Amino acid sequence: MRLILFDRLADSRSQFYPLVLSRPIWELRCGITSLAEKLIAKTGAMETACFVPPYMADAYREQSQWQVNDPASLTGDDLLLLNPRLKADDFDIESVGSALISFNESGDCLFVRIPKEKLDHLNTESIDALIESAREALPAADKSPATWDYTWELVLANADQITSDFAAAGRSGIHSDSIEDPFVVRGNKDDVYIGAGTCIHPMVVIDAEHGPVFIDEEVEIHPFSRVEGPCYIGKKSILLGAKCREGNSIGPVCRIGGEVEESIIQGYSNKYHDGFLGHAYVGEWVNLGALTTNSDLKNDYSNVSVTLDGRTPIDTGSTKVGALIGDHTKTSIGTLFNTGAYVGAMAVIAATGKPLPKFIPSFAWFLEGVVTKGFGKKKLFETAATVVSRRGREWSAAQVSMWEEIFKITASPRLEAVKQGRRAMRAKYS
Amino acid sequence: MATVDERVVAVTARVLKIETSEIKPQDDFTADLGAESVQSIELVAMFEEEFGIEMEEDAALAVSTVGSAVEYITEVCKEQGVEV
Repeated sequence: MRLILFDRLADSRSQFYPLVLSRPIWELRCGITSLAEKLIAKTGAMETACFVPPYMADAYREQSQWQVNDPASLTGDDLLLLNPRLKADDFDIESVGSALISFNESGDCLFVRIPKEKLDHLNTESIDALIESAREALPAADKSPATWDYTWELVLANADQITSDFAAAGRSGIHSDSIEDPFVVRGNKDDVYIGAGTCIHPMVVIDAEHGPVFIDEEVEIHPFSRVEGPCYIGKKSILLGAKCREGNSIGPVCRIGGEVEESIIQGYSNKYHDGFLGHAYVGEWVNLGALTTNSDLKNDYSNVSVTLDGRTPIDTGSTKVGALIGDHTKTSIGTLFNTGAYVGAMAVIAATGKPLPKFIPSFAWFLEGVVTKGFGKKKLFETAATVVSRRGREWSAAQVSMWEEIFKITASPRLEAVKQGRRAMRAKYS
Repeated sequence: MATVDERVVAVTARVLKIETSEIKPQDDFTADLGAESVQSIELVAMFEEEFGIEMEEDAALAVSTVGSAVEYITEVCKEQGVEV
């Protein structure tokens, strides 16, 4: 059986913006692992291929070992096509079996199971063609499996997912010989994993009383950090006197200080200084300036709404939702994000001293309280090239091409916000 | 109706908080009129609002003097069919 992960523009992927503007949905984290890793583990797939939105295919190929957007991967074996929004823990469809297809109420394809012999009767020229021909030819499943529908659902599920991922990993114990006293583990030491090469300075507390703590390899934890479980700290990340509250998943190569609670940070991002981040999902290559803080609870304790498109608020159904912050966004010192803020990718935020608008588009330069065109896309790309090279990564031609397309995809709400900003500016100067 | 020159000078005076009489065509926005980086961005935005045009950021920010701003804006207005 070959597992095919598919993330199509035709499906409702904008519900995961801004985080998936530059990556397929299955790269999102929840718990210790990504959505892809969970689906692969659940299905027992030995071979995986994938289909991503065409504009990101070249960039994703640079980082993936799988076949990407290759129609050849749609032939020659039994196939299990999975939408990455499927909740792996709840997915109970056998990987191999008779032909079966499932859509949700919005018409998004959720999975297709196709025995090899059936492929001769289907159109395998592309992932879209295969799904459309399968829709006509294959029997539909009785009910739709459970899915992740919005990014904040991953954040809200993160603490429990860390606990279940820790149990599934079956790893515990201290595998580092670079731990300096005084060092304290509260709770059951079996609920702590510290990987090889990790360096823990004196005066660090790991509190596993209420959940497991998984500290991956080559992490560095500076004095006066407190790490409360459930928690995952990714490879080569550094905690700088951080108050790392429960429910955090911090990806690789991050620099984290201040207070962080029930948040997911994709990786390669910096929140070096004091400031609170709660119930947030932060992308890659983000830099949060000193004292950057997000609200994750409204004063009236009502449900938090999030505006994904700049127009229509969506009730999250939760009283605790923080900021969604896209890749390459930078904030100035003292930035204050409103509850449930949407902060697009490649945005530059200069604080005003007040909580910012709940929707800040991608590529926006937020200056003097309004969205502007700022110094433009070219300057943002120059900065991105500098930032990634500092961590040994390449700002490749494929990356540039992908971000050029993202600039176009995100144009409409940005232009509207820029016009609003100009009107506000005109009033200021009239 | 005010000329492009007059409108550019008026916007510049408002954003940089200086008198119109102090602004000459050869003045550099930064060196002579004291525009800081954020004010440069505001000037571009206010010129767009004043004339109802969209300017490409890199080209607009490359304009250094009041006189060259007048020329550039006149050109953009022509390209975008805006009567001035």
